[in-house]
Amino acid sequence: MFIQIKNISKSFKIFQRKAGLKAAFKSFLKRDYKNFHALQNINLEIQKGEIIGILGENGAGKTTLIKLMVGLLHPNNGTINIDGHNPWKRNYNFLKSISVVMGQKNQLWWDIPASESFLLNKHIYNLSDSDYKATLNELVEYLDVKDKINIQVRRLSLGERMKMEIIAALLHKPKIILLDEPTLGLDVISQSKIREFVKHYNRKYGTTFIITSHYTKDIQEMCERVFVLHKGKAIYDGDFNELIKNINPHRRLIFEFIKSPNHHFINSLQSKFKFEMNGKILTANLSESNLQNLLSSLLENHKANNISFEDLPVDDTLRNFFQNPDKYIH
Amino acid sequence: MFKYLSILRINWIHSLEYRANALIGLFAILSGLFIEYQIWSLIFSQNNYSSINMDGVNSGYSFEQLIVFIFLSIIVGQLKSSWVTSSQMILEIRQGLINKYLIRPMSYFWYHFMMFVGTNSLYVIVYSLLISFFVYFFPGMIFQNIFSLVGFLISLLLSIYLSYCIYFIMVCFAFWFGEVRSIVVAYNVGMLMISGQYIPIRLFPPEFLSIIKWTPIPYLVDLPVSIATGIINVNEWKTSIGIGFFWCIILTAICFIIYKTAIKGYEAYGQ
Repeated sequence: MFIQIKNISKSFKIFQRKAGLKAAFKSFLKRDYKNFHALQNINLEIQKGEIIGILGENGAGKTTLIKLMVGLLHPNNGTINIDGHNPWKRNYNFLKSISVVMGQKNQLWWDIPASESFLLNKHIYNLSDSDYKATLNELVEYLDVKDKINIQVRRLSLGERMKMEIIAALLHKPKIILLDEPTLGLDVISQSKIREFVKHYNRKYGTTFIITSHYTKDIQEMCERVFVLHKGKAIYDGDFNELIKNINPHRRLIFEFIKSPNHHFINSLQSKFKFEMNGKILTANLSESNLQNLLSSLLENHKANNISFEDLPVDDTLRNFFQNPDKYIH
Repeated sequence: MFKYLSILRINWIHSLEYRANALIGLFAILSGLFIEYQIWSLIFSQNNYSSINMDGVNSGYSFEQLIVFIFLSIIVGQLKSSWVTSSQMILEIRQGLINKYLIRPMSYFWYHFMMFVGTNSLYVIVYSLLISFFVYFFPGMIFQNIFSLVGFLISLLLSIYLSYCIYFIMVCFAFWFGEVRSIVVAYNVGMLMISGQYIPIRLFPPEFLSIIKWTPIPYLVDLPVSIATGIINVNEWKTSIGIGFFWCIILTAICFIIYKTAIKGYEAYGQ
């Protein structure tokens, strides 16, 4: 197994105090600490070349898990094996095989052009001139930032900066890339460009991607598999679409009648199915089998001007899920 | 090794990006020298001194010799001081920005050593010009022979490294206490006085000198300046530089032990 995480737990000692001057003085003399269990008994296996999304609300433990995987944190219990390395030992070959993009002020020097930071990375990762030039050209061309690499980083837009961060992270062709909120704050076009790039790069080089994002679309478009954390515990590991189906097995049918149907017909249907009528348009959110039965009944008696099916918004589905995950996962 | 030289290179590029800041920083040293000149000329004229007694100097030190000594002390003090780099490191630890170094195949200690050298080495260009000026106008008072120049350069490198190690140890306390800039400020102010940066330590009482000779302090400013001005000869400075190297080993070991302990408990908050 390329990445193997076994029974990992991590807790932090957190300093806490009440608001106000009195509490500030009190805490100056005596500090109160609380133990916070960020991750509890996590098991995860990842194959080489997978793109896996780590989902969870704020504070669920996503970033802690990433930090454990790259050796920034030492677990309280359990073991992590990344391509034969123990991340905590931070040996040279391990650090050369990974890359992490956390936010948009990560590797780049803010006041000078990104090309200088790229050159620094060339030396840090000991890349040959030819490898460096070939990789840089490829990345710059694909991400369409050729004319931006010689401009001071602070003068670039958010999207351009994120692209530069990604270039800096990929120059040494890592085997594993961890992206923490890669599209945070980006406009729709930049988000889509980053997603496309991740898929392209994964296909081309078989690089393993581990992605956390609050944008459901990131996960939906890039990751087939998701690992869901809730309050530090793993609650799901599997296919993203399966998860959505489990949470909300309903789909939406929109049926537009050619002529308005009579009340008797509608009343008789409403005794069997739940739906809404708005003029000539019927809208129903039902399970797949009920939806098929309703459609058969409708088509037996009426002709349609238009029929369409829609999946329910994934964002809403996930929001419901995180409000009460026990309801959906057993 | 080459990766650390490229850190030096990028630091120079970064410093040159802000031209005004670089130029003002380079010439700030002149104001210190001017103040020292005024104070010592007042002391000499009001007391009718023709020379002043300094530890290790048999026949006393004339006003010109003292000014040359102090001028060199200010330069060495400036080259070994770190405010920019240590503040940056404290901020990185406190805000979790250190993470970006820890996930790359390089050493945090050596990365910032090169940053420290990079920031301070820009000043060397202007300082060298100023020193040439003193060599020309005060012949015989500075770099009497090639050995004193070589000794000065070796002891200067020693001073810079020792000083960096002391800063690094202080900075590491940020892993436990978060904000430790006040420790660095207190150290900087203390060192202005007791390392000989503004008042030669050779003017201090013998009891005080007998205590600080067991610390790395005399190797920060006094040793390079004493070698350059010929207060100590080749045989003496060889021994002193040897002891300085010994301090380098001790402080490097302390740096790595503290850093290793700190990083194990580090919670990698922030980014």
